[in-house]
Amino acid sequence: MMKTICRYLSPLLIAALVLGSLPAMAAPAGSGLVSTQDALSAEQVRSDRERIHEVLARDDIRDQLVAQGVDPAEVEARVAALSDAEAAQMADQLDQLPAGASVVGALFAVFVILLVTDILGLTNVYPFTR
Amino acid sequence: MTSSPLRHPARRGLRNARPAGVLALALSLLLMAGCAATPQIDEATLASVPRQALLDDVPFHGQRDYQCGPASLAMALEHAGVDAEVDALIPQVFLPDREGSVQPEMLATVRRHARIPFRIEGDMDALLTEIAAGHPVVVMQNLSLPAWPLWHYAVAIGYDLDAEEMILHSGEEPRRRESFRAFDATWARSDRWAFVALPAGELPAGARPGPATEAISDFERVQGPAAALPAWEALAERFPDAGMVHFALGNARHAAGDEAAAIDAFERAVARQPDLAAAWLNLGLAQEARGRSDAAAQALRRAAALSGRWQAQAEAALESLEERHDP
Repeated sequence: MMKTICRYLSPLLIAALVLGSLPAMAAPAGSGLVSTQDALSAEQVRSDRERIHEVLARDDIRDQLVAQGVDPAEVEARVAALSDAEAAQMADQLDQLPAGASVVGALFAVFVILLVTDILGLTNVYPFTR
Repeated sequence: MTSSPLRHPARRGLRNARPAGVLALALSLLLMAGCAATPQIDEATLASVPRQALLDDVPFHGQRDYQCGPASLAMALEHAGVDAEVDALIPQVFLPDREGSVQPEMLATVRRHARIPFRIEGDMDALLTEIAAGHPVVVMQNLSLPAWPLWHYAVAIGYDLDAEEMILHSGEEPRRRESFRAFDATWARSDRWAFVALPAGELPAGARPGPATEAISDFERVQGPAAALPAWEALAERFPDAGMVHFALGNARHAAGDEAAAIDAFERAVARQPDLAAAWLNLGLAQEARGRSDAAAQALRRAAALSGRWQAQAEAALESLEERHDP
């Protein structure tokens, strides 16, 4: 019984998986036309290595985002919305990218220095200096 | 500090040393921060923008905790017609362990909400031009010094050229006024990173064909050609001489099923940029699909004659066309 089910189910599963992965490979235009995205990426002078790197980058980011505490249910949609260049940037240097947060991670000694620079108009850390 | 019960001779020396120390500190800070001067604004910009501008219709969302990224996004998106709540944006853009939001994800989140993020040029001219055109600008600032960064997102909603002040929805403060000098000093530390979030069909006032094409193409990859079509139409209208833009417009029209209009756009593309092989190839394939084999063969021959990434594909398409029509 189980065997019969498997015999019918397996080809269906294989077909479903293959079809599911097609959109990633095929051009979105659908009828063999060169897509705008492919034409643009062909215009840029990039090596094949860089292109492969961009594809792999998205897998990298998934792991990094989960490690940074992002809800796994959100990760897929977040990665999908990145452009290729942004994905590569995230994969390579997420740790160095500035994260807008408005929080001072500085010591008290720094407080005094920043107070002076605030008054000089070089920085804008403390609202009361204005 | 002012009065000391014990007056040592040694303290005298210390007191003399104090002004020198303060001077040295101030000088070293100036070196560290770079000399902040009031930014220069181009004569052409001054002639084209009003002396004052304030976008009254940008809603304000105060940030909580470290949520200046989601709050700034909510303001920009809401102004662009998206009903975006800060609470809904937090899981989409915030990185809990970094306690902040990074630039690529700020742009990506705009795409998720079916708006196009356009980076603008990093100078005061571009910033004032966008605000004068009615576009609020999300800016990244480092409010502190490079050594102890305090990264911050805010939304620039206005300026006053006479008072030399920017007006920003920033942090917990709506319509905060910052002098041009202090604003530019803090903005410069993010390499003057800034973007506008616009519905498809609207373009930044200072759009340039190359970057705008990239921005719309990245949007199209996420939201599909139907969503991007109005943006391509607008870009082709703004830059009628850019071959690549007409090519992209042709693709979007083709995806929407409007073959005649797609062919028209591909023809414009090759007329403006005769070495655009991908446009010749698509023109040929689109003509073939409409049953015009002579026009198709003509275009495919042009594509096949151009060396590059699409040559093999063009040769194959030409061969199969000729086989079918001259057996």
